[in-house]
Formats: sequence, structure tokens, C-alpha cells
Amino acid sequence: MKWNLIRTKVLAALLACLVVGVGGTLALMHYSFARNSQALAVESVSGAQKLFTILESREISKMTAVSEMLIVNPQIRDAFAARDRDLLMKTTVPLYAKLKSEGITNWAFYTPESDATFFLRLHSLARFGDITMKRFMIDEVLRTHAMVTGNELAKGGFGVRIFRPFYDAQGKEIGYLELGEELGQFIHAMKSQTGEDYGLLLSKKFMDRQAWADSNAVWKRRDNWDDNPDFVVADKTTATDSIMRFQGELAAVPAEGTVLEHVRDGNSVFVRGIFPIHDAAGNTVGAMFVVRDISAVYVAMRHTQNILVLLIIVSLTVGIILVLTLLNRLVFRRLRHIITVATRVVGGDYETEIRVGSDDEVGQFEQLFEQFRRVFVDLLAHLPEMQEKG
Amino acid sequence: MGQLYDLKVLIENKIKADGLDAMEVKGKIGLRSGRMLAFIKADTPDDPAAVAKLKQAVKDVLNISA
Repeated sequence: MKWNLIRTKVLAALLACLVVGVGGTLALMHYSFARNSQALAVESVSGAQKLFTILESREISKMTAVSEMLIVNPQIRDAFAARDRDLLMKTTVPLYAKLKSEGITNWAFYTPESDATFFLRLHSLARFGDITMKRFMIDEVLRTHAMVTGNELAKGGFGVRIFRPFYDAQGKEIGYLELGEELGQFIHAMKSQTGEDYGLLLSKKFMDRQAWADSNAVWKRRDNWDDNPDFVVADKTTATDSIMRFQGELAAVPAEGTVLEHVRDGNSVFVRGIFPIHDAAGNTVGAMFVVRDISAVYVAMRHTQNILVLLIIVSLTVGIILVLTLLNRLVFRRLRHIITVATRVVGGDYETEIRVGSDDEVGQFEQLFEQFRRVFVDLLAHLPEMQEKG
Repeated sequence: MGQLYDLKVLIENKIKADGLDAMEVKGKIGLRSGRMLAFIKADTPDDPAAVAKLKQAVKDVLNISA
């Protein structure tokens, strides 16, 4: 390849355009995908957080309504007021089975003493008479004698709970009622609504080792305390732990949540985000992971990218062929003809003329060169005569 | 006869022997050497510089050493 040729330079410039076009398209599509995946991840985190809040409020409302019914139920009220555990158990166990099927997994009665002793746990009938662990919600209900709601870790697991005073027929406070739902079951409800995967992490800083072990024993789950150094996985909607990878501090997760990154797993592409979970005391006790499968978006982007790249390659290849063909027909071939004629004139051929193809720039040069050729031939014809005179 | 004329004869013989386009070959040699072969006659005086240029042109165009 001769780099001094115009043809080579034009070809190199067009190939450079091709490379820049393809590279630019790839970069643009990559940028576009990154922007879209970020937007989808932000939407997922924000949507999941809203959905979680809605579910939390809805379940608190549900448990509040249930507690209102329980409080005015004379059989339950009188059995609890009489401290008749067997009668209370007999009255509430059938009801607990129904409530459990509706998601209310924890139900307990407490005596009104300042240490809030368990009188009856419907979710763990064999255990009673023990003093509850130090809990913000109990402290609050003891202090205010009003209903307290929120998320809290107890021996029955981490859940959204309501805690309220229980009164006898005369309106005297006879103890406390607790209803709760495990937060873990929220994420399964969320998955069924959004199709996204979720994972609930709880920070060990706010957890009691024994309480977690007790909770797992109650629900017959593997004790996973030692799986991670700083947090435990309370529940997840996927079999894989890969969505739970997190190196930062859970307490540092911003209130509105944050997008982590997008990850590839085989042919699938996911975006991950995380938002904090607060307990009733306002502590950031954990976080929820949101994982959205954006493989369809990725595949669509790759498809568009391939079409664009193919389109650019085809159009620029056609362009290169067209430009080189035009250059050959309009310039190079006519220049070669001029060179051939000029060479033949010097070789003694005074008859071959330069064809003037058109009146374009090269045509003007052809015309000028033809005029020059005629003058030159005329000069050669008269040279002997001029020499004789000279 | 001088060297220039001998070279001219050599060129014409080569063209004839190989069946080359005489005008084109003579033109190329003329352009390279800066001298029209038509003006080289038997009595054309030799000029060392012109002879050297013509030899080089013959070598370039016909690939033969004169």
C-alpha cells in the first residue's frame, strides 16, 4: 500500500470514520445502558422502599384491628383477667391458627408487672413465665400505657409488631398484648408483586445472639449467625447468597437507599440496590437488598447495538466503495489518461489527443493540457525550420 | 556514432524484440532521461551527463543495463 497516493489517504480517512463510528456507537450504547440500568435500579430501590412501607403500614393496621377485636372479646378478656392460662390457651389457640395463616406469626400476653413477664406465647406455648429481654417497645408501652408499633427483634424473631395495654371489663389494665409478623415474609409478598428478589439483613450490633438462636429454634430454621461477620440474613427470596454481598456499614446506607452496581451472572444481568430498615426506636437495624433482573433490557440494548454497528459498517462500506469508485471515474482514471498521452507525446506519438470528459476541475485541466500538447506538437513540427533559421 | 545514438538503437531493438508499445516506452525513457529520443541522431554529440541519465532511464524502464 502506497501512503503517498490520494486513494490510500482517502481510504484511510474513511476507515478511520468507520472505526470512530463503530467505537462511538458502542460507547454510546454502553453509556445509554449504564444510564438506563441506573434508572431502573433507582426505581427498584425507591419502589421497594415504598412497597415495604405500605406493607408495614397495612400490617400494622391489620394487627391493630385484630387487637381491637381481641380486647373486646369477653372470653379472652376474662380468662386473661383471671390469669387462667389453660382457659386463655383453649380460647386463643384455634384463633391463632387462623391468624397465623393470615400472617400474624407472633401473639403473646404479658402480665402488667414492671418487668413484663410472658404469660402466654401462642407461637411457643411451652414457654411462659420468663421475663422478656430488654426491648424498646416494651419500655415504651410500660412508660406510656398506650399502643406502640414498629419493627423490633425479639425472641420470636425480627418483625413488625404492635404492643398495647389489655384491659378488663372495668377498664383496669390487666396486662399487655403483643401481635407481630415476621419481616421476612414481607419480602416474599414483595417478590410476588414486583418479581424482583429481596434479601433482609440485620446488623449484629442491634441483635442479641441468644435471641437470634431462640428465634431460629422457634421457627425451626438453621442458625446462620456465623455466616457473616457483621450481619445475619433474616430472609431472602432467592437461593443464592450472591445478592447479599455488601462490604459497607449498614448504618451508613442513606435513608432513601442507594444503588450498588449491576452484576452479570451467566447470561443474566442484574442491578442491586439497598435501603435501610429501622426499628421502633429509630435505629438502622438492618437493610433490604433489592435485585432486579434487567436481562431483557440488556438483550434489547445489545440487539439495538448490533443493528447500529451493522448499519454503520454496511453504510460506511458502501460509502467507501462509492467514494473510491467516484474518485476513480472522475479523477484517477482521467489523470492516468493524461499521463499516458503526455508520455506518448514524448515518445513521438503526436496524434493521440486528450479526451476532455467534462467541464469539471479535472476537465479544465484536461482541456489545458490538450492545448499545451497541441502547442508542443506544433513546436516540435517547426523545430527543424527554427533550427535552420537560427 | 556516439554513445547516445547507440543507446537509442539498443532501445529500438529491445522494443522490436519484445513487441513493446514503442511510443509508450520511448516516452517513459524520454521523460526519465529528460531527452526526446527522436532528436538523437547518429551525429548527436555525446554528453557524459546525458549518457548517464539515459542509461539509468533504460535500466528503470526496460530493466536492462546499457
